Amino acid sequence: MTSVLAHLEQSGVATWIHESGLLYGYPLILFLHTLGLSTVVGLNVAIDLRLLGVASKVPLASLDKVFGLLWAGFALTAATGALLFIADATKHASNPAFFVKLVFVAGGVTTVALLRRRVFHDGERGAFIAAVSLACWFVALSAGRLMAYVSEFIS
Amino acid sequence: MNPAHLHLLLNHVPTIGFGFGIGLLVASLVRDSADLRRASYMLFFGVALVAIPTYLSGNAADFLLRTKRELPRDVVTAHQNAAMLALIPMEIVGLVSWLALWHSRRWQQPAVLALSIMTFVLMARAANIGGQIDHPEILVAGTAAYAPTWPSPAATGAAFVLGHPWVWPICEVFHFVGLCLLFGVTLLVNLRLAGFIGGFPLGALTRLLPWAVAGLGINVVTGMLFFLAAPDQYTQNSAFMWKMGLVLLGGLSLLYPTMLDEAGDSTFDILHAAVTRKLIAACSVVIWIGVIFFGRYLPYLGTE
Repeated sequence: MTSVLAHLEQSGVATWIHESGLLYGYPLILFLHTLGLSTVVGLNVAIDLRLLGVASKVPLASLDKVFGLLWAGFALTAATGALLFIADATKHASNPAFFVKLVFVAGGVTTVALLRRRVFHDGERGAFIAAVSLACWFVALSAGRLMAYVSEFIS
Repeated sequence: MNPAHLHLLLNHVPTIGFGFGIGLLVASLVRDSADLRRASYMLFFGVALVAIPTYLSGNAADFLLRTKRELPRDVVTAHQNAAMLALIPMEIVGLVSWLALWHSRRWQQPAVLALSIMTFVLMARAANIGGQIDHPEILVAGTAAYAPTWPSPAATGAAFVLGHPWVWPICEVFHFVGLCLLFGVTLLVNLRLAGFIGGFPLGALTRLLPWAVAGLGINVVTGMLFFLAAPDQYTQNSAFMWKMGLVLLGGLSLLYPTMLDEAGDSTFDILHAAVTRKLIAACSVVIWIGVIFFGRYLPYLGTE
């Protein structure tokens, strides 16, 4: 396992991320990661709020189109996240906050899929799923943001 | 233009703006005019936004000047604390004014009037102490216009962040929560403005807007705590300047969807309504993406 991580970290991709300078490398990937996650989480939070009774006059069917953008945001976040992981594989793999984040991202993404199917297509009310979704994203966001501090603390 | 110039330029806006705002609000009471009332709320909201870079540019001016000559530290510190003491109620006035523009309630007008007068007095005090930094001659001999016994929120805030190692990370978490609220809700509203989603009146979706403003509020508070703890790290960074300029524009762009009526019509539609909306939606999305860009690039850009 460690050898796989070390191998990733020394790969051409990792070197490229760390050494391609200000505008193309690490900072750009970090920016795109943030842009993607704020699209996914932000749009999902807005839909959750609607299901919890805010702006209840907005018909759900009209929000169906938003899921395309939401998944595009997720694709961007996942792709840039994979690159960020490769760049510092051993560091992230030893960080408990990273695993908490992954678990709750999986939870959040599951709620997106559930919302689409059960609420938008099968007509369930969805308040419970919306609440779980908000909680998952909050924990995922917190764990992700705290990763830097946790890794500093344990090293 | 250097930061000291910028501060001298901006620092008149809060006091004079609030003076005008109070005048407009009183006139709206006398003449019972909804238009004047809304104009005063818009002014209060805008000035509350401008007051943020005004405060920040003060630290930038201090950094520049203290490398050139000796400044009276006690007066500078008193001015910073007085300015923060005025900034806090000023942001509350901005928030209540926004709420009143979004959805009018009876309590808002007296609340804004009382708070804005209080803010004006505190702001005038901050300006007076600020004036003494470079013009000690305005003081009557042997007196100090600032009393050290007044609350010192700038120093307290800085000590709070620096004194507890958990505060900065927790603020980072909430800075991201605020960012997601603000970006997500404005994105959805902008998608509707641009016509990407539809089939319902715009007024129905603007019910979500307070959540965007809450996100902005969370980020102003957490962002200000970062700034108080490490002002030089930010004032000496050009990415931060760009970010703050864009936050100001983004904040102002919230006014358009806020002031749509139930049917979704707006008095701001100068061009054809559909064109105006697409333009405003595109600008708003680009502005907030720019804010994220400069925020994320802050440690990498502008520090050389």
